[in-house]
Amino acid sequence: MEALKNAFDFSDQPRLDLTIAGALALFLLIFPLLPVSAFALATMIQFFIFSLYGMGWNTIGGYGGQVDLGKAQYVGIGAYTTAVLLIRWDIPFWFSMPIGVLLAVSWSFIIGYPLFRLSGHYFAIATIATSLVLKDLFEVWDFVGAARGLEISPIAYQPPDYLRLIFKEDIYYYYVLFAFFLVGILYLNWFRKSRLGFQLRAIKDNEDVARSLGINVHWAKIKTYAIATGYVSVVGSFHACYIKAIEPEDTMSLDISILIALMAMLGGAGSLWGPIIGAGILIPLKSYLKEWLGGMAGLAGMDLILYAVIIMLISAKEPRGVWGIVERWRRRKRS
Amino acid sequence: MALLAVENLVKDFGGLRANDDISFTLEKGELLGLIGPNGAGKTTLFNCIAGKHPVTAGRIVFDDEDITALKAPEVARRGLARTFQVYAAAGDLTVRENVMVGCFMRTASRRKARERADAILEDLNLTAAAPQYVSELPVAAQKQVTMATALGTRPKLLLLDEVAAGLNPGEIEEIMASIRHIHHDLGVTVILIEHVMELVMRTSDRVIVIDSGRKIAEGLPDEVARDPQVIKAYLGDRYVQEAGGGEAHP
Repeated sequence: MEALKNAFDFSDQPRLDLTIAGALALFLLIFPLLPVSAFALATMIQFFIFSLYGMGWNTIGGYGGQVDLGKAQYVGIGAYTTAVLLIRWDIPFWFSMPIGVLLAVSWSFIIGYPLFRLSGHYFAIATIATSLVLKDLFEVWDFVGAARGLEISPIAYQPPDYLRLIFKEDIYYYYVLFAFFLVGILYLNWFRKSRLGFQLRAIKDNEDVARSLGINVHWAKIKTYAIATGYVSVVGSFHACYIKAIEPEDTMSLDISILIALMAMLGGAGSLWGPIIGAGILIPLKSYLKEWLGGMAGLAGMDLILYAVIIMLISAKEPRGVWGIVERWRRRKRS
Repeated sequence: MALLAVENLVKDFGGLRANDDISFTLEKGELLGLIGPNGAGKTTLFNCIAGKHPVTAGRIVFDDEDITALKAPEVARRGLARTFQVYAAAGDLTVRENVMVGCFMRTASRRKARERADAILEDLNLTAAAPQYVSELPVAAQKQVTMATALGTRPKLLLLDEVAAGLNPGEIEEIMASIRHIHHDLGVTVILIEHVMELVMRTSDRVIVIDSGRKIAEGLPDEVARDPQVIKAYLGDRYVQEAGGGEAHP
């Protein structure tokens, strides 16, 4: 009960922030009802997807300071579990999603146990490696369609199929994802104030001191990594039903892992709103940039250059991202 | 029964013997001072007792339990807390949040951790600083916060590593008042590492002197201050003769 109360308790946030957040939530609620293009709606769905990825990343990467560049492998596990179960045994989304979480979290324990013996850059590199290995495995594994991937045929079902999450119009997906988005925020709000959240912030600051306060550093990291994995896997499952055609390249590529970390860092790692802000900036930018540059073949790599510039700016100017700037400004105003 | 017994403790770092055959016991309710010149092995001894370093040889018994092989978090959960010499407190957390991290060792409830943290802060006169970030506080207050955080774990024994280092005389008085309060009113047994001799002499019930990894003296503050070996360790050979020759103070 106390946990539930804490999840809904935003009282430590400044009133201004809550007003803005409330207004934005209202806007997101009515957004699909406004006369917006299909492209805008699809972009907004991508915003939700990456916000949730970012929230998950934020637990271990932001609050815990463990830079994880392998989140895509859990997108893959979630997506493939849902797709395989649906195609082969007609198991609907709401059942396959928890199974996917279970598999992803199990996998996260298996690789988290050795990986968290490493620290700093070595940890980051190792997460990239495990993700790439898993992707390569899926590319040669016939059971999951190898490099061709899997396709969920919409003709086989009668949309709107709420149980299997097969819809024709994006608006359905939008609202399902919006619900996930709100739950994701509530969970993160609980997490940051929970014992584990506090322990993780202490670990990020100084592991020796954390140990002296009775914290099992290794285990706290593994647990949080599992939470992050849960977030990503749920969205991965959703992704399978939404995109309906998944292959290793577009669910598990390094780009996705980096994009997840990048958005959370741009918005502000280790803050409640950071990942949402990051996704809110980068996703529309990425979408529209691609649209505009689509015709110009010579400028195809522009978005990558943009990411590189953002990474450099964050690391040089404000490691805590946009939210770090806001916080710094507030502190200065207070003193 | 002693609260803490260190028996023939040896700690090697490669070829360097940082602690050489150190033994002592500590009764419940004592305030023990641990002094010695720079590099004598005081902090290493703390690190061994608190489970940060594995010991090379010897035994550590805390509260009737052999804790020699335990790691830092396990030692902490048994009621042995410590502060760190160079480290102040997590700058990214507010003062209250810092203390809550300590309190979370004994409870999973955020409400209870918060209540307990607030009680500790009030007790140490830090309530006004509670919502501030630790990095915004002066060094003296940061040191107080580390003590408050350690207290959050409800320790039976508190190891304080040079909490007065780098403070001015006024601040030292304040922190000494806090230490006396923790020891006297809260009933926590304390071991105090200190560089500032005078401070340890005034506060401790008993003093142990370490030099080059060895225990060279132990006793009441007055006795230890007159001990020729201690004077030699701190000031060099020349002063021993003068002190032995009946000088008023070494």
